Amino acid sequence: MLTYIIRRILALIPMLLVISFLVYLGLELTPGDAVSYMIPPDVAGNLSAEDLNALREQLGLNKSFLERYGIWLFNVLQGNFGHSLEGGVPIKDIFLDRLPATLELSAVAIFFSTVFGCVLGTIGALKRGSATDSGLTVAGMLGVSIPEFFFGLVALSYFSLHLEWLPVGGRLLPGHDSYWDRIPHLVLPGLVLSLMMTAGVMRYSRAAMLDALGREYIRTARAKGLPEWRVNLMHGLRTALTPVIVLIGFRLPTLIGGSVIIEQIFQWPGVGNEFIAAVRGQDYPLVMMIALFSVLAMLLASLIIDILTALIDPRVRLE
Amino acid sequence: MSDATLNARFDRIRALEEAGKLRARTGSRALRKLTNNRLAVLGLVLFAIILLASIFAPLLTAHDPLKIDLRGRLDPPSWEHWFGTDMTGRDVFARVLYGGRISILVGLGSALVAALIGVGIGTYTGYRGGWLDVVALRVSEIFMSFPQIILVLLLVSIVGQSLVNLIVIFVITGWGPMYRLTRARMLSLREEEYVQALQAFGVSTFKICYKHMLPNALGPIMVNITLTTAMFILAEAGLSFLGLGVPLNIPTWGNILNAAQDLRVLQNYWWIWLPVGAVISLFVLSVNFIGDGLRDSTDPTQQG
Repeated sequence: MLTYIIRRILALIPMLLVISFLVYLGLELTPGDAVSYMIPPDVAGNLSAEDLNALREQLGLNKSFLERYGIWLFNVLQGNFGHSLEGGVPIKDIFLDRLPATLELSAVAIFFSTVFGCVLGTIGALKRGSATDSGLTVAGMLGVSIPEFFFGLVALSYFSLHLEWLPVGGRLLPGHDSYWDRIPHLVLPGLVLSLMMTAGVMRYSRAAMLDALGREYIRTARAKGLPEWRVNLMHGLRTALTPVIVLIGFRLPTLIGGSVIIEQIFQWPGVGNEFIAAVRGQDYPLVMMIALFSVLAMLLASLIIDILTALIDPRVRLE
Repeated sequence: MSDATLNARFDRIRALEEAGKLRARTGSRALRKLTNNRLAVLGLVLFAIILLASIFAPLLTAHDPLKIDLRGRLDPPSWEHWFGTDMTGRDVFARVLYGGRISILVGLGSALVAALIGVGIGTYTGYRGGWLDVVALRVSEIFMSFPQIILVLLLVSIVGQSLVNLIVIFVITGWGPMYRLTRARMLSLREEEYVQALQAFGVSTFKICYKHMLPNALGPIMVNITLTTAMFILAEAGLSFLGLGVPLNIPTWGNILNAAQDLRVLQNYWWIWLPVGAVISLFVLSVNFIGDGLRDSTDPTQQG
């Protein structure tokens, strides 16, 4: 097992090298002076032309492309991600500032969509062909078809603007910093994101459950006289959950950057919101670093999924 | 299904047969199964209605989607303007119809081109294997390790906004899954006996993989094309809603929704954003119904 994990981690390294190289290539090719994001702009603004040239020499910006890439990579590995073009804020600080909000929203969405998705999917599979099942199927279809931002707009206009039950957006008003003040802000984006994700998880777990229930060992379990709930839950659901875990695992990293539109609608101060602002303002260093960061999250998630499935499913061969 | 109902069903079929009411079945079995699926038929009808309404937009509305009328700004729906008018007095119904042309073109067009590239590469490298296969696999892995929307936005920020750029970007982000699917099918088909027979006859590699193997992999590919179309239509709408998709002067479904970023519009002028959102949802729903129907009708493991 341990060798398998180590091998999987080692396999990630060339992938990360290639992607970081592409990201750096993107940084070099997009307009903008490299000096301006290597050092804080207010410092750069006070420098004369000679000083700037000396600085270029010192930062290694006059070296060959590959050497510059090496220096950049070394800096990134040390947590020095450079500076955003707008305001010259260190990108690391932006991450530290924005990440908690995104993680909070993602955690809510993952939790509720997993619970409801698995429960509803299992009910649909167990009552296959019934009115409940058809209703759930159609609802799931609607859930994957309605654009999430449109659903968000409807929810926003009804609950916040029409009924005025919930705040229009943001995460926290100035002066309100207890945890309870946050809940009303979290309700709408969390609900919208959860519901849209529930649809996908539900459809998937229903299919996985149907597949599991059709297997021979289910018949065996029935034949040896186990109670029906035990057959369904301990034998059926348990195997059905493996593919569902894979699906949810792959949702995790996409949520970190992927709830961009929901964050935008509800003015949620997360990474996605920052990403949109950076794309609009053509703040390339920030765009590239967030992209690199989301790839890293994606690769880590796939690593964790592989390890988890290897742990759960004894059929996975560790070669 | 209990034995009694099953027997009753067989009895009914036998009775029909004896009365000579059952015709010999003609036509494609997959097509027959598709038309027997009520949701798929509903999807096809909805799809056709929205597609035809967009294509024949000039026949359905006399209004110009681009004509600004500052005297008739923000009019609620009326006989003259079915979906009302927007902030600059443009007819929203006309914009939805004409916008459908671009949105469907972007969604369907990108999905088809992505499929052409993905399937084209996947068929050959999946069958041949070797270094070409390894290279293609690694390249697709790199593209697929970005969350889709992040990669799309990253490319938008680099190449800038235009209709053609958007389609190219969608193709770049969409060919990977299509390639992987085709490759996986080819890998399993490669072991079939008829392929070995063709190889023994000395049939050329191209002929084996594109003419003899590809048709057997088309079912899942077709399903994937429909689902990808749905995904790209949603993506276009989302990006244009953010103002980062198709340039704002071209009406598309997403660009119409863009006005709803303004909270005043969201609160007071529902006709600008609600109908078009419903149209997008219905269209994507219809494509998904078709995709599900196709999956059920082309999957040989599903009987019926």
